[in-house]
Amino acid sequence: MQAVELQNLSKIYPGGKQAVKQITLSLNQGEVFGFLGPNGAGKTTTVKLLNGMLIPSEGNCRVFNIDPVYEPEKVHAISGVVTEHAQMYDNLTGLENLIFYASIFGISSSESEKDANSLLKQLNLEEAKNRKLSSYSTGMRQRLSLARALIHHPRVLFLDEPTSGLDPESAQNVNRMIQLLAKNEGITVFLCTHQLRYAQEICTRYGLIEEGKLLVSGTLEELRAKILARITLCIRATKVPDMLSFKKIGDQQYEIDICSENEIPGIVRQIIESNGDIYAVSAKKPTLEDIYFALTSNAKEDLK
Amino acid sequence: MKSSMFAIIKKDFRGITANKRLFSAILIVPLILTIFLPSIFVFLIHFAPDDPDIQKLLQMIPLSIQYDSLELTIAGMIINYIMPIFFLMIPIMTASIMAASSFVGEKEKHTLETLLYCPLSVKQIFRSKVIASFLLSMMVSLISFFSMIIILETEIFFLMGSLLIPSISWIIILLLVSPAIALIAVTLIVRGSAKAQSVEESQQGAIFLIIPVVLLIIGQFTGLLLLSSWILLILGVFCAILAWILLKKSMGRFTYEMLLK
Repeated sequence: MQAVELQNLSKIYPGGKQAVKQITLSLNQGEVFGFLGPNGAGKTTTVKLLNGMLIPSEGNCRVFNIDPVYEPEKVHAISGVVTEHAQMYDNLTGLENLIFYASIFGISSSESEKDANSLLKQLNLEEAKNRKLSSYSTGMRQRLSLARALIHHPRVLFLDEPTSGLDPESAQNVNRMIQLLAKNEGITVFLCTHQLRYAQEICTRYGLIEEGKLLVSGTLEELRAKILARITLCIRATKVPDMLSFKKIGDQQYEIDICSENEIPGIVRQIIESNGDIYAVSAKKPTLEDIYFALTSNAKEDLK
Repeated sequence: MKSSMFAIIKKDFRGITANKRLFSAILIVPLILTIFLPSIFVFLIHFAPDDPDIQKLLQMIPLSIQYDSLELTIAGMIINYIMPIFFLMIPIMTASIMAASSFVGEKEKHTLETLLYCPLSVKQIFRSKVIASFLLSMMVSLISFFSMIIILETEIFFLMGSLLIPSISWIIILLLVSPAIALIAVTLIVRGSAKAQSVEESQQGAIFLIIPVVLLIIGQFTGLLLLSSWILLILGVFCAILAWILLKKSMGRFTYEMLLK
């Protein structure tokens, strides 16, 4: 069974704005899926559609085979959601908030207190757990939201920009936690973000969305093969033969685009044969960011 | 009732009682209306019973509600005819403050969205909120009633040497009219809250509910209209039916999309 399935999913808001355009994709269980795109691309709308907060204008979606349009409560029971607008109560402490949400999910107070304490510890909020939420910083609130989304042991996590507002250390901590949850507990993660570097660190598969349209989806290798197959070879050498058409980028620094790693030994051999001394060789594969920009600039050109 | 709904009710209650400023506002106004105001009347009739206007008023009172002494008759009128009307106003005030803060307040502070992601239907969330506001307004009504009775009876006993038995109307007021009006107020506020963007906006709606009660108070004071137990009973049944219809109609109206706008 697929964990999350979207079929031809579209959403047109009452004002006429089409936020999501015929998206079809599916997520396997235990997958960390990066749903990437700029602000206003339709990521949050997709999360809301998957949770039954919005009714699709066309198509359908399922979470563990449950249709959120007809049984939103059942979807909510197995999913944890973190979005910018899903805040908690300022007049309660961090711990009280978690226990309250656990009680709505039908978890007994003794059990929820144990789970809440362990989550607060994992998210470095242990010291602040008895402080009212009104004294929490944005980053602390964000981490507590993640703890809230995990308190009922969900099977799917919908995370909308979970690391926005976090300092680099906390962001890394949160990312590591998400990765571990998927790996050890088999939780499926639907991660919406525009922070491509963080996404590349933790996601196993990606979908790139712009203006409501899913541009492409697949693993990093698949995206590279589809969008940007080149590899950039950087070499630090005393000299390179002219026939290799290297681009000089600094003192003894050269760069060339190649199509496959198999070309590297030949290039290195040619440099040595022409009496060049090599100090360093590195092959840079396109990052998610490179692919994203290549893709969006292609899309813009297509529009022109 | 599901334990999750109970959790919401408990949280809403705590939200109000923990906010001392809000909670004291909810309690102070009813206590002024039900203790301070009638106490002034009681002292007034004890120390100035010879006023010609009061004498004229007494002549108009039917014999059936007259007590042994002049003072007691007037005190009885205050307790049994004037005070009940305030118990129509108290549930409206309490219910509107509570309902507005528990529904629109959640919307304003972005906590409603989190609640919607929980495994409860919109209907169940709506019901929990209505129950919480209803229970609070009943609690405030009962606290006001018992404190009023204790204090007024003590005053009357020491000033006039006898106790007054509250009339049967009080049972109708406390168990039928007041709960029904509270329910109407809560339902209307919660219904309006889907559109309202701020607590103040939704509380303003409650003003329209107060108007008929204010008219009743004026009627009661000027003697234009004296509410008998029968009229109260009819009014109570009418309000209860209206509350039930409103509640039924509102329950089906809400969708997630509408609330998150």
